[in-house]
Amino acid sequence: MMAMNDDPLDPLIHVPARLKIVATLVALPDGDTLSFTRLQDMIGLTPGNLIVHLRKLEEADYISSEKTRNGTASVTTVALTAHGRKAFGAYTQALRDLLGGL
Amino acid sequence: MNQAPDSTAPGNGGTFDAQEAAALLDQTARQARRQLQPSPPWLLVTRAVMVLAALGAIWLSVRGQHPYRGPTAADIPVLVVFIVVNFAATVGVRHRAMAGVQGRSRFTQSEIAVMVVAWIVAIVAILVLAAAGVSYSHYPTTLLIMPGLAWAAVSGARAGWRKSATGLAVAVTGVAGLFAGSAGAWLVAAVGLCAIFLVRAAITARPQRA
Repeated sequence: MMAMNDDPLDPLIHVPARLKIVATLVALPDGDTLSFTRLQDMIGLTPGNLIVHLRKLEEADYISSEKTRNGTASVTTVALTAHGRKAFGAYTQALRDLLGGL
Repeated sequence: MNQAPDSTAPGNGGTFDAQEAAALLDQTARQARRQLQPSPPWLLVTRAVMVLAALGAIWLSVRGQHPYRGPTAADIPVLVVFIVVNFAATVGVRHRAMAGVQGRSRFTQSEIAVMVVAWIVAIVAILVLAAAGVSYSHYPTTLLIMPGLAWAAVSGARAGWRKSATGLAVAVTGVAGLFAGSAGAWLVAAVGLCAIFLVRAAITARPQRA
């Protein structure tokens, strides 16, 4: 495969697991959140792995998470923040620019 | 929480080049849109074919009636099967797509109430018109006007302009049927609803930039 300079690509998103997380969350309409279990089911990561990547994205303010109690169980929901959407937009544009230059 | 290094296992972590990223992004985005879509194109196309077949079959059976007597006993099961299958498929697909999703996409209690009331008002209005001997009560499209307008209003209130346009198109189909005669209204309903579902399917299936 052709080597290329990936520097313009946001390193927080440019990791397969986190790219899958962000690409999945961006498919949600604005104002919607996705439960942790559904997200895990959709992208096929282990809970521990998913938590680690979500934490990195949350620390960068790309996603927000909320834990609510539903009866005896607690439900964690996640959503992309406006900052996260902007970062994803910039990432996809950088990706297009890189591939367009091939 | 423990900080763990990014795994280099494919699909988990690790760095990768832009081509691999683009492929993964495309695949994930398509998969997410498909899984989170409460009205997928295949369902809309199926609904379009079914409505055309069900209402078209009724039009074929009533178009030769002089005077108009309405759908025959043989037509009723076709209509019932269409309504039941359509309802079950819609609820099933929506339930699966919306699992774990919270927020604005979910209908509120008041929005559901508006739609239920619209259907009740439409049915009651038809019965009142029928009791008064008004011919429009026999037009199937009359039933579409009120729920179509209610759907347009509910969708418009939440800035869902495409869905609002769908509701208006349903209402317009209902009004157009009033000019087609009692038998012709079945054809207007069949073609109008089929076209609406096909247009929605085409819009939903249109490729979107990630």
